[in-house]
Amino acid sequence: MKISWLPTIAGAAVLGTVIRAAFFTPLEAKQGAAQKIFYIHVPSAWVAFLAFFLVAVASGVYLWIRDPRLDRFAESSAEVGVVFTTVVLITGPLWAKPIWGTYWAWWDVRLVSTLFLWFIYVSYIVLRGAVESPALRARYSAVLGILGALLIPFIHLSVYLFATMHPMPIVGKPSAPSLPNEMLVTLLLSLASFTLLYFAFVRSRYRYAGERDAAAAKRET
Amino acid sequence: MMPETSAYYHLAYTIALGIYGGYGLSLYLRRKRVRAK
Repeated sequence: MKISWLPTIAGAAVLGTVIRAAFFTPLEAKQGAAQKIFYIHVPSAWVAFLAFFLVAVASGVYLWIRDPRLDRFAESSAEVGVVFTTVVLITGPLWAKPIWGTYWAWWDVRLVSTLFLWFIYVSYIVLRGAVESPALRARYSAVLGILGALLIPFIHLSVYLFATMHPMPIVGKPSAPSLPNEMLVTLLLSLASFTLLYFAFVRSRYRYAGERDAAAAKRET
Repeated sequence: MMPETSAYYHLAYTIALGIYGGYGLSLYLRRKRVRAK
């Protein structure tokens, strides 16, 4: 059996990060073990934003040069982004319940706008399944892919603009990170390993899309 | 005193790893199926 290196390395990196988070990173005094959800929630959110940002970039360039490879990449990155956003939307409430006393708050702009982001890219996937013409499908979904990504800066800045239960950024801010060193190292390793997992997923999904399109073209001839 | 919140942490990690593992498996199976056609 042929070993595919990128998924193997990415899987091992994620597993290593989880082991470090679980057994070699100290507990936070006020939140207890629930704070460790941070090491999967935040990196998953970062990867989801990266995925949708790259959908928008690939879609923009697609509308310009009409290369089907860019459409396939956007399709792949959008699906992987939805997977990561699903994890964000499940781990967030599981962290919120013991700390904030509730799973969900509809007035929290960051929560609700992240849910909207998920809906937009689920719609993107549904749209792709509904349009038969490859050229039209690519064009419509490119427009939706670009518009959806406009939510990303809004979600990031929502903690500054609105009343929200989410804390202010503790790492992605202009000043130095406000985290003990051991926790910061775990977070950075987690960001790196989840980013690697994103590339492994997208590469595999992109190859699947290529093989699927080639098989469809073969059937038509 | 530190609060006892480990059930949420275990559940979150289990679900997250299940979703990522499940998605990875779905990609593998989809590629296998399209190659078989």
